[in-house]
Amino acid sequence: MKPHAHTLDVIKLNIALPNGRRLLRDVSLTLEPGEVRALVGESGAGKSMIGKSVLGILPPNVTITEGEILLEGQHLNMMTPATRRKTVAQSAALIPQDPLTALNPVRKIGPQIVDPLVRIQGWSRSDAEARALDLLDRVHIRDPKRVMGSYPHELSGGMRQRVLIAAAFAPSPRLIVADEPTTALDVTVQKQILRLIRELQQETGTAVLFVTHDMGVVAKISQKVTVLFAGKVMEDAPTPEVFTNPRHPYTRALIAATPSYADLDRPFSPVPAALIKDLHARIAQDDMLYTGGRR
Amino acid sequence: MADTTTSAPRARRIGPVNLRLWLPLLWIALVIAAAIFAPLLAPHDPLEQDLMLERLPPWFIAGSEPGYWLGTDSLGRDVLSRMIYGARIALIVSFTAALAACVVGTAMGLIAGFYGGWWDRVISRLVDIWMAFPPVLFAVLLVAVLGTGLGSVILAIAVIDWTRFARVIRAETMVQARMDYVDSARIGGARRMTALISEILPNILPSVIALLTLEMGIAVIVEAILSFVNLSISSDDPTWGAMIAEGRGAIHFAWWVLLFPLISLFLTVLSFSTLGEGLKRHFDPVLQ
Repeated sequence: MKPHAHTLDVIKLNIALPNGRRLLRDVSLTLEPGEVRALVGESGAGKSMIGKSVLGILPPNVTITEGEILLEGQHLNMMTPATRRKTVAQSAALIPQDPLTALNPVRKIGPQIVDPLVRIQGWSRSDAEARALDLLDRVHIRDPKRVMGSYPHELSGGMRQRVLIAAAFAPSPRLIVADEPTTALDVTVQKQILRLIRELQQETGTAVLFVTHDMGVVAKISQKVTVLFAGKVMEDAPTPEVFTNPRHPYTRALIAATPSYADLDRPFSPVPAALIKDLHARIAQDDMLYTGGRR
Repeated sequence: MADTTTSAPRARRIGPVNLRLWLPLLWIALVIAAAIFAPLLAPHDPLEQDLMLERLPPWFIAGSEPGYWLGTDSLGRDVLSRMIYGARIALIVSFTAALAACVVGTAMGLIAGFYGGWWDRVISRLVDIWMAFPPVLFAVLLVAVLGTGLGSVILAIAVIDWTRFARVIRAETMVQARMDYVDSARIGGARRMTALISEILPNILPSVIALLTLEMGIAVIVEAILSFVNLSISSDDPTWGAMIAEGRGAIHFAWWVLLFPLISLFLTVLSFSTLGEGLKRHFDPVLQ
């Protein structure tokens, strides 16, 4: 493995449905080691699709039409499927959106964390078990031994998300994709989970691609932000700058649309319809050029 | 929902669930024992005819002969002995045919539900076409083509009923395939097929088992139907269906020839289907 400055490079990534509809349009982004990059946008903007492309779990009917993905400098889409699987398994992990379906209901928690460590990282079973216990302890699970022997349905949603965070960090991956990890949780739990991810991320120096639609979360956790609209990058900037000096009108509208708990009387201002219409029109124009240029 | 507490395991409904499991198991164990130890249990040779002893009533009715507990049929053959030997055929057919249908149907359902696309289109259309045939007619047709005999009956049932498994398993696989844990397994380096077999299949197993037991009951019925129309195995061999067919003509004056095999057929089918539901609950950690 040759040393490379970036943990992840996504270069002009395009993905599309079989009918030619584009889901991502020339998306580029980079992640440096130890960096947290937030990926924001409304639902359907293609945020999750970027993470899925990197991890190789795109739905069967979605294909990468153009572009490159480099994980630690290695071209993922030039590899054979087997090598790709191995590379991704060894250096990337996912904290999924819905903790209720992300653990296999018929298998106990312990093996679900331990097995990949043994199979992919080649650790001994006792080492892997010690590592799992240690991580469960670090995500503040009170009785890790008992939890390892439990079935997923015996744990609450928040507990399951902790288990999943532990599982994601267990193999010391270089990259973690966190796909809206707090969306399915209670507001009170959300905060704890967010803090936990930040804590572990800072300790381990893992790069995190943090998918979210919540600008409040963006401000708390990330150093860089990529703003997506309809599969197209609107803005890519350091987090403080996005809040103090947003350059793109869409970013400004997104920040304005974020509800504030401090000031409940402030009127709610959705993203203006005219702006959305304008953006769609421009993207449609781009698409015409894109397909026209190729055919 | 409190974050750090575990939900207590739900209280088990001991009464109904356990009965649902154990009563059918008891009857099926009895039938299995009868099948295995038929030569020891049967008081008479099931094929032995004695025209002097035709249509003897069962033991609790005047005119019965000692040793012929459930009476005799029109050829003087012992009903109890024939029922015990009939259990053999019923069980052989139900186990092998149901298992064969289960293996084929489950495999098809898993493939169609997981890979989707052309696999799904081809398999689903095949199932649709298959199910358009009336099953019993299909079975009669198949046995007529294949020729009578135990093998043909088993094959006919398997060929007809794999669609039951395919349809249900396909739907369940589709639900499971969308779950995040499948993605997690794939990120963890599992191939799609490995994810299907080691992650999804265990989640579907309770349904497979329930369907399998249900199918065993159905196989017993189909075999009885085929025997009834004399298309199962040779008419001499004791099967419950053949006994029912034979007793039908004498129902007004020798009802026992028909009734006893009918009861065992009924209980066996009922047991299999109840057991299927009970097992499904038993194996599913969430339903428990």
